[in-house]
Amino acid sequence: MFAFIIRRITQAIFVMLVISVIGFAIKQSVGDPVREITGISVSVAERDALRDKLGLNDPFPVQWFRFVKGALHGDLGNSFKYKRPAVQVILSKAPATLELVLTTSILVVLLSIPIGIYAAIHSKSWWARLAMGGSIIGVSIPVFLTAILLIYVFAVWLQWLPSFGRGELVEIFPGWKSGFFTWSGLAHLFLPTISLTSIMLPLFIRLIRAEMTETLQTEYVKYARARGLKENRILYVHAFKNTLLPVITVGGVQLGTLIAFTILTETVFQWGGMGSMFIKAVEDADTSLMVAYLVFVGLIFVVVNTVVDVIYGYVNPMIRTGGGK
Amino acid sequence: MRFFKKITGSNLFYNFLRDPMAIGSATVLLFLIVASFGAPLFAPHNPYDQTTIDIMDAELPPIWTGAADADSRFLLGTDPQGRGMLSTMLYGMRVSVLIGVGAVVLQSLIGIIIGLIAGYKGGRLEALLMRLADVQLSFSTYMVAIFISAVFQGIFGMGVYSDYALGLLILVIGFAEWPQYARTVRASVMAEKNKEYVEAARVIGLPQWRIMFRHILPNTMTPVLVISTVQVANAIMSEAALSFIGLGMPPSQPSLGSLIKSGFDYIASGSWWISLFPGIALVVLILSINLLGDWLRDYLNPKLYKD
Amino acid sequence: MKKKFISLCLAGALVLTGSFVSAKTLRLAMDADPVSLDPLVQLSGGMLQYSHIVFDPLVRWSSTMEFEPRLATSWERIDPLTLRMHLRKGVKFHSGNDFTAKDVAWTIDRLKKSQDFKGLFESFTAAEIIDDYTVDIKTSVPYGLTMNMCTYIFPMDSKFYTGKDEKGQPKDAIIKTDYSFANVNESGTGPFQVIEREQGQRWLLKAFPGYWDKNHGNIDEIVLTPISENATRVAALLAGDVDFIMPVPPQDFDRIDSDKKIDLITMPGTRIITLQLNGKRCPPLANPKVRLAIDYAINNPGIVQKIMKNRATVAGQNSPKGYAGYNPALTPRYDVNKAKELMKEAGYEKGFTATMIAPNNRYVNDEKISQAIVAMLSKIGIKINLKTMPKAQYWDEFDNQVADIQLIGWHSDTEDSANFFEYLYLCPDKETGKGQYNSGNYCNPKVDELTLASNSETDLTKRAKMLQEVEQILYDDAAFTPLHWQMLSWAASTKLSNAKDIVNVMNFPYFGDLNME
Repeated sequence: MFAFIIRRITQAIFVMLVISVIGFAIKQSVGDPVREITGISVSVAERDALRDKLGLNDPFPVQWFRFVKGALHGDLGNSFKYKRPAVQVILSKAPATLELVLTTSILVVLLSIPIGIYAAIHSKSWWARLAMGGSIIGVSIPVFLTAILLIYVFAVWLQWLPSFGRGELVEIFPGWKSGFFTWSGLAHLFLPTISLTSIMLPLFIRLIRAEMTETLQTEYVKYARARGLKENRILYVHAFKNTLLPVITVGGVQLGTLIAFTILTETVFQWGGMGSMFIKAVEDADTSLMVAYLVFVGLIFVVVNTVVDVIYGYVNPMIRTGGGK
Repeated sequence: MRFFKKITGSNLFYNFLRDPMAIGSATVLLFLIVASFGAPLFAPHNPYDQTTIDIMDAELPPIWTGAADADSRFLLGTDPQGRGMLSTMLYGMRVSVLIGVGAVVLQSLIGIIIGLIAGYKGGRLEALLMRLADVQLSFSTYMVAIFISAVFQGIFGMGVYSDYALGLLILVIGFAEWPQYARTVRASVMAEKNKEYVEAARVIGLPQWRIMFRHILPNTMTPVLVISTVQVANAIMSEAALSFIGLGMPPSQPSLGSLIKSGFDYIASGSWWISLFPGIALVVLILSINLLGDWLRDYLNPKLYKD
Repeated sequence: MKKKFISLCLAGALVLTGSFVSAKTLRLAMDADPVSLDPLVQLSGGMLQYSHIVFDPLVRWSSTMEFEPRLATSWERIDPLTLRMHLRKGVKFHSGNDFTAKDVAWTIDRLKKSQDFKGLFESFTAAEIIDDYTVDIKTSVPYGLTMNMCTYIFPMDSKFYTGKDEKGQPKDAIIKTDYSFANVNESGTGPFQVIEREQGQRWLLKAFPGYWDKNHGNIDEIVLTPISENATRVAALLAGDVDFIMPVPPQDFDRIDSDKKIDLITMPGTRIITLQLNGKRCPPLANPKVRLAIDYAINNPGIVQKIMKNRATVAGQNSPKGYAGYNPALTPRYDVNKAKELMKEAGYEKGFTATMIAPNNRYVNDEKISQAIVAMLSKIGIKINLKTMPKAQYWDEFDNQVADIQLIGWHSDTEDSANFFEYLYLCPDKETGKGQYNSGNYCNPKVDELTLASNSETDLTKRAKMLQEVEQILYDDAAFTPLHWQMLSWAASTKLSNAKDIVNVMNFPYFGDLNME
């Protein structure tokens, strides 16, 4: 196990290096940061001098080495727009995104398991068909449309829920301002969570239903039935346990999709997280913040996928040895 | 004729005829595909022909609303550029179907092959391929699109972009999301590869590729098909999101997704038809693909007993 | 306004709390928030809007485009190089320091150090302090626009910004991409003080108790939230979550207009939207007949009516009404048949192909406008390959002249016609920087001569004549294709009783004067 973890960490470092190279390559295509931080009437010479000062005229490898050197000291460069270290900016925005992702994940887990299992057992019932049909409509409506419709219905028309922002926040420990502890914060969380859930939920309902349908026909479920175990125990303990493996794998991968969708959701709801920060950074060509975000998100993926692999190794011990040959 | 007989005589066809849901969704899908690919024949106007578009026709309501400015030439009204909604949707659906299906075929192809190899072979190759997937996962479709189209423009210049946009988009969206498949397939392969039937195949000396593709692959398809149906919808919407940053289809050839997106600005202003009709078309399209996919999955799955 | 929140199913409880808004809080939503607290760090609309909230200029434009005294109470011309300013007494900075002539001189020095402002203040030399409340503003050459430039002088607290901060950095350093004292601290004389600032998220500003102008509005605090998404910004106003939004997307004008609790305020703006035709890249575009044909082929009244929802003014020239160079004889041209004829005369009856680029998030409805133009030009046989892109990528492409036709909007920083010509139509010259945004490569020595002469002309009638002549030449040559002047738009809750009086064509709302019921 120890060797497995060490190996994964070395690989992770390598992955981070590759991500930073690609991030740097993309950076050049996003736009010119100097354009964005100077007025339109500033002269060409003046702009070039600034570019020189910021090291943007240096060759690609020089810029990249400087970045990696800084990154080793925890410095991912300065955000041009925020005028402070990019790491600070990202850390100040991360709690908002994490809270949104967390509530969405909880909601997805709580809803998809019962609905998926139900749809697998009673596949011909109208409720199951309704759930499956509804889930397709859920994925077909683009998330920005869901979001804006929710705003118009619940904020503008009914005036029940707030239309944007995070509401009142409480600082739970230094640097983490949370919206979980005030009514206003929870009310603000409501609509963004629903629109984000509408994207992820259908996939998991369908996945759990499909895997469950399969498991229910395996020998050992039949054997369990023959042994006279209680039906509920068979369904929720024996059968469901077996559907978990693919669900965990897909879940780990879908975290990427979830983070990609926070970008859209956060923008529409003016949610002060990393997603909306990233899209603004791309729009404003705040390239150093953009690269820092890519590296940061890359780190999250590497960590999550490593954890998924480790969990997987526990659930299915064959993989560890298989992967270690 | 013999080919036709072969089809009608097959199990697949027999099974298909017995499932009204499958027949229904196949009919709808066929109708949509014929209507959209035959758009030059059926559509009242050609929205790609710029000379027929007049800005003064912009945002006319559908004719049955009885509004004073409704125009008999435009059954479903017009979009903000003055194109008839009906014709634009038919043409747009063609683009969306091509992108949705094309991108998903591409990403599943790459993902399945990489996932199979990684899962079956293991070792360093697996580590390399999976770390590659990690890298790819960290870059959303958005970033891949920015990169590829910047490179493309750098090489070919700006003028030809609109001619190749469709192929480029299939490539970008197809390329950006293969790790989803690769990781899923790999996980299933690892669960399958030590089962008796694989051992048996190995013992009788079947070649590796045959074991991988003919024996293991069919047993890993369930999650792949589930992801695929959802991915078609995602790919169509990704294209719309990309058009917003100037990397989607050129504005003169709108897709269903970008039509919805452009109608998004008008939701509050009362021009509901601009996003509603393409929205309905998209939902129906994806619904029929999904239902047919569900049926096909159940039919092909070796783990399910058919009755 | 009390707001009801209902948290459904999960919480399972009906709650009737909410954010009770204290006395007079203005909840303001803009598309983006200012990038710094230092007014000199960047010359942009957003930073100037901020300057009018936290600082005060020497003079400012009134709604009728006249100079209104602010920190300067009166002024007189001593000689062609000198303008004497008499300053207001008893004005205090937010730090508590007194405002004197020294602060004005110090600020002009700092303006000349600012990368963004030094261009505008090129002809200014150091100001001379006569006494505590009198200062002479000097230029090196006779300059017709000294007063216009005084609207950009927002005196800063020289004592507050002098010396070193804890990090050992000079407090007056102007730094665009890193920490500086001035980026995060302010001391102006303006109606509001910045209390909290979470960049990109939320600002809290409070009325400055020692503000000199006792006739100002009654707002106690401003909560500023940037909301970049148009639909969300409008929804927030309709839902009553904010009181004032800027800008308002044209497609929502009617919706907002019909709401009884909201006032829509629009005003003809001064930003001209144009197309530049590059004859160097695409030979047919060098032909004056083709250029004229394009002008005639583009249905700019149609764009204004359908895309801009009548909230823009159809243009036939650069200068909007009220500018010195405005020439009433130059009316917009639109006649498709005439355009076809011109194409025939030019020998391009069969048309040709050209490329075009436009930004898609810079000007109001920029993408829709360019898309409509593609359809319009197709009617005279010109096939356009259009590419639109976000503004961050656009200007580099624009500078590199990657396309034959490029869209650009221009607002004159000096509120004067000559500024259009200097940047957009003078023969491009990399050395002097003239014609910096002339991507059409239009070059007419007569235009250069008249424009440069107008800058040192202090007789305003003569000067106006010269500028109008330039407009005439550009019109006759079809040097560019004018589309329209964007309208400015704001929307405010009816609680804000005088919202329409605090806005102006520069788009610098004077929030200090705002009243709330």
